[in-house]
Amino acid sequence: MKNILHFIINLLRSIYKLLKTRIGFVISFFVIVVVCLIWLFRGCSSKVQTEGRIEITPVQISKIQSIGQWEFLAISDEELIDTIRHGFFGDDELARIYYGTLRLGIDLNETEEGWIKMDKDTVVAKLPPIKLLDEHFIDEALTKAFYEKGKWSEEEKATLTLRASETMKARCLTLTNIRSAEQNASLQFNNLLRSMGFKFSRIRFANTSTHK
Amino acid sequence: MSPRHSLYILLILLFAACGGKLEEQQSDNQPVDTIPMMVMRIQKCSKLYTSEYLLHKIVTYGDSASINGTFLHRNFKVNLPFGKRRVAIPITASVKAYIDFGNFSEKNVRRHGDKVEIILPDPGITMTSTQVDHEAIKKKVPMLRSNFTDEEITHIQQQGRQEMINSIAKLGIVENARLSATRQLIPIIEQMGYKEDNVTITFRKKYSIDDLSSIIKTID
Repeated sequence: MKNILHFIINLLRSIYKLLKTRIGFVISFFVIVVVCLIWLFRGCSSKVQTEGRIEITPVQISKIQSIGQWEFLAISDEELIDTIRHGFFGDDELARIYYGTLRLGIDLNETEEGWIKMDKDTVVAKLPPIKLLDEHFIDEALTKAFYEKGKWSEEEKATLTLRASETMKARCLTLTNIRSAEQNASLQFNNLLRSMGFKFSRIRFANTSTHK
Repeated sequence: MSPRHSLYILLILLFAACGGKLEEQQSDNQPVDTIPMMVMRIQKCSKLYTSEYLLHKIVTYGDSASINGTFLHRNFKVNLPFGKRRVAIPITASVKAYIDFGNFSEKNVRRHGDKVEIILPDPGITMTSTQVDHEAIKKKVPMLRSNFTDEEITHIQQQGRQEMINSIAKLGIVENARLSATRQLIPIIEQMGYKEDNVTITFRKKYSIDDLSSIIKTID
């Protein structure tokens, strides 16, 4: 405590001595002027601000329909799609991240007449082939902007969405995934039929292999 | 301790304080990876989609520019003339109601002689896709303002999507899902050898508005 008090007294003494000299007075005058100017300039600032908001609009139902789509495999995919436009003054680039879920399964509206029938003590079900249940599988409103340089039109963005759709299909609609969906469909249908009280069942797919 | 020494110590302390602040600022500028890893998630399931709703919404957004600041420690705000931008984005979403047969078992089936009662699992609702109508997007950008960036547009779309999800609970999809499920399942059970009059399809319980939030699922 004593040391601190001593330190402060010494500091004040040295400042007083400095002020007593002419050069010290000039320096302290300039310091005061600079501090005042800084205070004034700090009190003056401006920036352009934007205030925006989403306006409330209603959600309308444009269509209701009964469907019978049985999904057995869901593949969630994310794709980074980019495009480049070469120009005289430099290249323009646009990159976006797309999200989508491809659903593989059967459409019950495509079943043949008598697709489930009894053969003695066994239920035989002939399922339609596994397919992509909905061509619209991209959640486009969830898309994230990754990089943008230059001006890009909405038509070009629509083309990018189309490319994302093709890329996801190429990556996810593989034979392995279709086989996996078929196996799961057989498993699930067997389970369903067993739960209904049928001990023996045989599941087949139209145009594809047989599973037991 | 001499006055000169005290002055030196004070200067050293001031430098140390400034240096600390500089280091702190540098650590704030560390790059942050906000981009999620590109993944493909495969999930086996057994969901019977029974009804589909196509929802349409025009997401509108407007913002105005103003100069905000302080002059001699007094705040001011001036709205810029011709500074209001507007955009309207039409979005169509596909919402489907489903019955999850993943955990369907003998517990869900009750037999009384020729009659059979099937207690269906809880229905679910999912937003399976959204489409942005690029051709129909309308923008109004004054000369003094910059055009909407892709980041701004996608952000507005995401907010519009969330509003559509929030509105699903009010559309009465669950009740329609029950009827559609019955329409889809009765012909299948009939083909198994049961008569239509002997088949009863029921759900576990009736749903209130509060239950709907747990039923609605999105792509995420």
